[in-house]
Amino acid sequence: MHLSARLTRRAALLTAASLLALTPLSHATIDDAHTFAMEAASPFVQQGFIVREDYWNGEVKSGQKLMVRHQMFKGNEYAFWLGTAQEDVSFELKVLDETGKEIALDYKSSQMYCSIRVNPPKTGTYSVVFSVTSKKEKGVYWALAYGYR
Amino acid sequence: MKRSSFQRLAATTALSALVSACPLWSQAAAAGVQEFDPQAFPGQVVDDVVVPVPSEVFSVLDKLGEPNWRQEIRSVDLPKSADRIKLALMFGLVVAEGFVAVQAEDKEAVKDIGREVIDLSTALGLIKSVRPHAQAILDAADKGDWSNIRKEFDQTQKTVRDSMEQMKDTDLSQCVSMGGWLRGTASVTSVVTKNFSADRAELLNQPMLVEHFIASIDKMAADKKDHPTVSDIAKGLKGILEKMEGAVDGFTKDAVREIGKTCDSLLSGIQVTK
Repeated sequence: MHLSARLTRRAALLTAASLLALTPLSHATIDDAHTFAMEAASPFVQQGFIVREDYWNGEVKSGQKLMVRHQMFKGNEYAFWLGTAQEDVSFELKVLDETGKEIALDYKSSQMYCSIRVNPPKTGTYSVVFSVTSKKEKGVYWALAYGYR
Repeated sequence: MKRSSFQRLAATTALSALVSACPLWSQAAAAGVQEFDPQAFPGQVVDDVVVPVPSEVFSVLDKLGEPNWRQEIRSVDLPKSADRIKLALMFGLVVAEGFVAVQAEDKEAVKDIGREVIDLSTALGLIKSVRPHAQAILDAADKGDWSNIRKEFDQTQKTVRDSMEQMKDTDLSQCVSMGGWLRGTASVTSVVTKNFSADRAELLNQPMLVEHFIASIDKMAADKKDHPTVSDIAKGLKGILEKMEGAVDGFTKDAVREIGKTCDSLLSGIQVTK
């Protein structure tokens, strides 16, 4: 009886410990997505891009299309970096002008991130459309950062 | 070759399917003009708006000429206040002033602003998280490390806004952004007015940001929305938005001057304590 209670308690403790061990990982994933976005930014920084500290992030269903609206200034060159915390994913990342025309250049992707460059033809609002599709996970963490020069 | 009815039907069906699958362009196609409607985006629109820092606009002005940024620096001598709305607006204003001082590469002005950042974050109860950045600004000013100072000002603002949001004070966080945007825009209008050109004036085409600020004020809790300074800002922003939306063929010098005047008047209101 005592042994059974001890075993039950031990099992409960083990479960709680496993959950605790998992919790920080799940909290870390949005930060991980941003870390990978910053990894994508690294070669751009060497080319003179200034990385903004503010960025967009979240958790979304795999494959779900997302859009952010962003102000850009003609005369600057912009780069957007999309990072995720999940492996085995495919990315979509494009920038549309007010007519819906794609204006981004140089799409590049790697295992955990992708990037594009933009030379806005006019000063105004642009739409950044993106998605992260995972082969394994139902949900994905993402972070989208940008820089300019 | 004559197309069969089946081919015509198939082509029509395919086109209809394409149009209905792309609601972003369907309305535009019917009107004969291709216009992008973000409201009809067949996905999730992320509501968060990242407000550009003033140096994003300043860098374009630098490429278009050589503005005298030293002339644009305004002395920072903010009144003491316990009003958190004013403090948040002043914080944004001061950080934007920091970006002007960096553009002017003025070490002393940057240091003065760094000290003002410390005072304001102390008054806001956020000194613990801001101090490392403020110290980094002061250290980098001694070395004339302008790119690092720019980065630290951006980080300082993000740290303050994040801390406010963690304390569930999104309204205050929005005030930081608004104060910064008003000061940055006042500088832009001042530079553009001194050396007017269509390319420079086009930098003021920022209706989405102004709409975002107006909507943010609208969503604020009643005590903040009805704060006299915030309510003045809402009125002023509506006037600025009208000017931006009216500049279909570009901004006139008068329109730029008017936007600048509105920003200056709102900035004065932020810096006055009763």
